[in-house]
Amino acid sequence: MSKIEEIASAVERGKAKLVPGLVEEALDEGADPVEILNKGMIDAMSVVGEKFKNNEIFVPEMLVAARAMKKGVEVLKPSLGGSSDISIGKAVIGTVQGDLHDIGKNLVCLMIESAGFEVQDLGVDVPAEKFVESAADPDVKIVGVSALLTTTMPAMKATVEALNQAPNRENFKVMVGGAPITQEFADEIGADAYTPDAATAASVAKAFVVG
Amino acid sequence: MERIPFRKEELEVIGQTINMGRGSFPLLNTPISPRENFLMLLRGEDPLWIPFARDTISVTPAIIKDNIARGFVYDATPFDPNVEGGGPDMFGVEWEWVPTVRGSMVRPGNPKVPDVEEWEKYIEFPDPDSWDWAGSAEKNRALIEQKELLFGATILNGLFERLISFCEMSEALVAMIDEDEQEAVHRLFDQLADFYGKIIKKYKEYYHIEILTFHDDWGSQRAPFFSLDTVREMLVPYLKRIVDTTHDLGIIFELHSCGKNELLVPAMIEAGVDMWNGQPMNDKKMLVDTYGDKMIFGAAPEGIDNDSSLEEVRESCRKFVDTFKDHRIYSGAASNAMFAPGIKEALYEYSRIAKCGKAE
Repeated sequence: MSKIEEIASAVERGKAKLVPGLVEEALDEGADPVEILNKGMIDAMSVVGEKFKNNEIFVPEMLVAARAMKKGVEVLKPSLGGSSDISIGKAVIGTVQGDLHDIGKNLVCLMIESAGFEVQDLGVDVPAEKFVESAADPDVKIVGVSALLTTTMPAMKATVEALNQAPNRENFKVMVGGAPITQEFADEIGADAYTPDAATAASVAKAFVVG
Repeated sequence: MERIPFRKEELEVIGQTINMGRGSFPLLNTPISPRENFLMLLRGEDPLWIPFARDTISVTPAIIKDNIARGFVYDATPFDPNVEGGGPDMFGVEWEWVPTVRGSMVRPGNPKVPDVEEWEKYIEFPDPDSWDWAGSAEKNRALIEQKELLFGATILNGLFERLISFCEMSEALVAMIDEDEQEAVHRLFDQLADFYGKIIKKYKEYYHIEILTFHDDWGSQRAPFFSLDTVREMLVPYLKRIVDTTHDLGIIFELHSCGKNELLVPAMIEAGVDMWNGQPMNDKKMLVDTYGDKMIFGAAPEGIDNDSSLEEVRESCRKFVDTFKDHRIYSGAASNAMFAPGIKEALYEYSRIAKCGKAE
């Protein structure tokens, strides 16, 4: 098994204590930092996402894998140069006003970050104006809007409507998700995409940006 | 018990259940009380009709601070969650009542326990002996003494839910599988099992409950939060202790666990859970076919809500009874169909006829 394969395996298994050492060893052996990132970590997280989608693993396994990747990226970052070199774009993500649920939003943040985005987590109970304000940043490519309750679906609608009025609307895609959300609802409120889980959100977001 | 055939007069409303803030439900002119009928199901006998979830009544008294914090006080004390809901629970965790949601949550970002491995530094267990159980029971005397409905109590914030409230969702989930943190979680659940045992004993002593409902959400809309192996390792030993304490007191144990948790049913059975009224996204037919001899499941008529027409409700109830009449099951109603027109009468009539026939 190559060192990069070892890193990928450790990331998939969520071995946060092992990954930094393995990354250091790979760098010492002269491995390309970009390849370590793409093959050892981002690809590994894609595998994790697929397994999650298929119920082969569950939320904790996904969280520890993301945590392991984060530890590896910390070691890798100085070798990669500035963050703009490794980021494929910026994503701002939050849970709508009136809704305090954060786990779905957190998972999407982790998976989208693991797919190569720079993520700004707006938190929970986020007013529509805050989404619009954050989306004004020209680097923002994705705006993720989460709602976990049927009672906060109207807040999602209001948020997406506000985003659709933004003068720089063509610069970013609006993605929505959450337990009560459906493709039909996403279409109705004018979102660009609905995804049923965090792994799909990451792959759709990536497809929007890199094609 | 004689299999008394159904007579139309049984649909006559002879009273209303006690209203504890959730609304009251009609009491029909049944040949035996809903309580007796439910007990038949629990004893393994074939009840005269499929028991309705609302044939039970459950208290969450104000003497337990969790119930105020969660906006979930149901006892003789008048309680308006929009005014009184939220605040500290019995461990001092602050909850926020969200009126639009009609529920409380801990606002993320400032966990009471910032490091799971050191939870003992931040958490002091309350002393149930210091609460006014006798006074609370006295206020609820009418409820305790009624014999129409199966009487119980609900414990909010089970084992995993308590962990979430202490350290937030993501951290709680990681702690369930992280080798370094699992030991601390075991210590916490061990103490919680004893603590809940004390509360259940109080409920038995002062409220004479017959059924305990224990809230512990284990899943999301699409899947369990964690694997069956994780539940077996981290939750079953402690849940089983709580169930055993409950059973030793002659009380039925109902697990309330939201989420698509059908994969975790083997763990519920291993813990000794008597009943689980899972949410509608679980495949109830598969569950009763696979595990119906080991546990009682709650299920609900599908495709209706409070705005459905009487005809739609009756058709859905008829299909439900056709599907489940030969299984050990009780019928609930999805939260958005609890007041669907004629739902209780339709479930009653169809299941009475299916089980006992119709009088000439």
